[in-house]
Amino acid sequence: MPTSTLSIESILAPELTLCGVPGTSKKRILETIAERVARFYPELDENQIFNNLVARERLGSTGIGQGIAIPHCRLEDCKRVVGALLTLSEPINFDAIDNEPVDLLFVLLVPQNATSEHLELLSQLAEKFNDRSLCKKLRQCDDSDDLYNLIVSSEQESQ
Amino acid sequence: MATDLLLFIGLLFSLSILLSPLSSRIGMPILLLFLGIGMLAGEDGLGGLQFDDFETAFLVGNLALALILLDGGLRTRAASFRVGLRPALGLATIGVLLTAGVTGLAAYWLFELPLTIALLMGAIVSSTDAAAVFSLLQGRGLHLNDRVSATLEIESGSNDPMAIFLTLVLLSLAMNAGDGPVLETLMLFVQQFGLGVVGGWIGGRVLAAIINRVQLVPAFYPLLVAAGGLVVFGGINALGGSGFLAIYLAGVILGNRRIRMLPAVLQMHDGLAWLAQMALFLILGLLATPTELAGVFLPGLAIAAILILVARPVAVLLTLWPFGFHFREQVFIGWVGLRGAVPIVLALFPVMAGVEHAHLLFNIAFCVVLVSLVVQGTTLAPLAHRLKLEVPIGPEPRRRLPLDLPTTGDHELMVFELRGERWAEPLPVAELKLPPGVICSGVFREGELARVEEIAELRAGDLVAVMASPAMLEDLSKVFDTRPRKSPLEDRQFFGEFVLNGDATVGDVELFYGIDISRYEPDKSLSACFRKEHGHPVVGDKLRMGPIKLVAKSVDGDEVTRVGLNLHSPPHPRNKESA
Repeated sequence: MPTSTLSIESILAPELTLCGVPGTSKKRILETIAERVARFYPELDENQIFNNLVARERLGSTGIGQGIAIPHCRLEDCKRVVGALLTLSEPINFDAIDNEPVDLLFVLLVPQNATSEHLELLSQLAEKFNDRSLCKKLRQCDDSDDLYNLIVSSEQESQ
Repeated sequence: MATDLLLFIGLLFSLSILLSPLSSRIGMPILLLFLGIGMLAGEDGLGGLQFDDFETAFLVGNLALALILLDGGLRTRAASFRVGLRPALGLATIGVLLTAGVTGLAAYWLFELPLTIALLMGAIVSSTDAAAVFSLLQGRGLHLNDRVSATLEIESGSNDPMAIFLTLVLLSLAMNAGDGPVLETLMLFVQQFGLGVVGGWIGGRVLAAIINRVQLVPAFYPLLVAAGGLVVFGGINALGGSGFLAIYLAGVILGNRRIRMLPAVLQMHDGLAWLAQMALFLILGLLATPTELAGVFLPGLAIAAILILVARPVAVLLTLWPFGFHFREQVFIGWVGLRGAVPIVLALFPVMAGVEHAHLLFNIAFCVVLVSLVVQGTTLAPLAHRLKLEVPIGPEPRRRLPLDLPTTGDHELMVFELRGERWAEPLPVAELKLPPGVICSGVFREGELARVEEIAELRAGDLVAVMASPAMLEDLSKVFDTRPRKSPLEDRQFFGEFVLNGDATVGDVELFYGIDISRYEPDKSLSACFRKEHGHPVVGDKLRMGPIKLVAKSVDGDEVTRVGLNLHSPPHPRNKESA
């Protein structure tokens, strides 16, 4: 069955792969994410990214357990799928389903006219981050380049 | 003579107990095994024992049934009444009536028996036995959703009185060989049920009050529950009420009031109920004459087929339609009308009363129970799986010890054994996050006890002891995940990738996932949608919204508090083409 054509490589830029981000709270981290994404994609509005991510968290935390969160939302001016990968220097409270603090995040922003393909992608991401040994390696990365290379190469391995 | 008898009894019980692990291995109800051993020891079997003392069997049968119902009541959680009470009462009254009626009419038509005798046969086989169902499912590690399990459980506790009542009424009609006045029959019904309910309620409360006031040697509390239960049973029977209903209700009340030493009471009654089951089935097996059974095997098979394939499903469908059951759940409940000891004990009533055809009724009832145990007993676990009625549950602690002292509240000492996939790699103690209110008392490793601060990491094989209240069990079972490997029912696959709050609205889901849901108004909360679809929602209930599947993950009363969001459900064939 042909799966989604959206590989991690095509949605994640090295510039949005951030290692050891300092973060004190869930809100602060979402702000950082919005700011970094908007800096890299000027057509996107920082406030809108932040507000939509926060609104999604209000429906229920995107912390999927074991220290991992996948914040996601749709965006109006978004023309392509945008990803961002972060590891945190200190785990933060994310109200995750298992109450464990989060230190590994993959953010997914999708266009307003999101299709079932995007739901599929979200599901694949959750599946990917269910891999304990991958998550362990990601957490051990010392700089953003390593982190980027690791996540992109993990993609090729699994195919 | 007496020692020979005791030797014989001891041997029978030992054999039954030692062979019992076979039952879960071959998927046969354990009761069938006991029955088989009884028959083997009997007149046509290896034992060659002549036993046709119906009176002793009758006494043992009543005592055993009373103890089994008491144990069932003690284990029935009042919380399960929310989803199970009304449907179960429907099944226990109208359902039994319909089952008995359809089966009885079929017997009348098939065997040209007198109408009252045919209906008596229907009544005798009309009540179900859930103990057999649950021991089979638990042996397989299957857990049904609350709606189905609560309904089956309460039904089987409360339908025996109805079956007994119908049997007694029809028996008195058969004895008088005339038609009893309708009014008297109705009065008898009201008396049996009314006295049973009131007597059980008062009896249970009085017994609870006594237990909590007297100071006794610990071992006496469980015995007092058993003895008090028998007082309720015998007393209400003597007054002309349904003793079976009364002792079951007394058990429910005792089990749900905080009585002293409840864990010990439950533990001993578990043993007592098993003893009762064993005694009952062994003696019934002894009582039956297999060579006689062979003669009625075909008629017995016909009655069993009608009961299983027609009467029970019809009764279930007609009774459950107002209660928001899913069709799959109705199919399952319709199929698992497992017959246990009650029909055989009820079949002793006509024998004792000396009604004509009584031995035929007994033998047919025996055949029906055999067929039901074999056919339904062996198929119900695979069926529950096929019908997707299973719900994943977290791992249980290896040991739970309720502290049960005045100032400990409901705190327990729980010991978790670290094993399975999660513990393939050791976990640094610093990363161990215990839920609030939980205290780690120590870690056992290779026979040594260590404080958790003294060790660097937790690893497979460790036993971790914590003090916690049972409310924390769900969170704790995530921390100490001990499942061997990912099962097909793994949480994430069952409940989905993400979790939404139950008060999120349909509009929210539409907004964030870009799907169109016309079935519900946008401002309706997800919890309200579950209520609309399922009446009283239970964990595991599902809602489909476009390509997304929502699964009830936590339920508090009738409110779904957490909803699993399953993105990965296979898309609808139609959607697939358009995508």
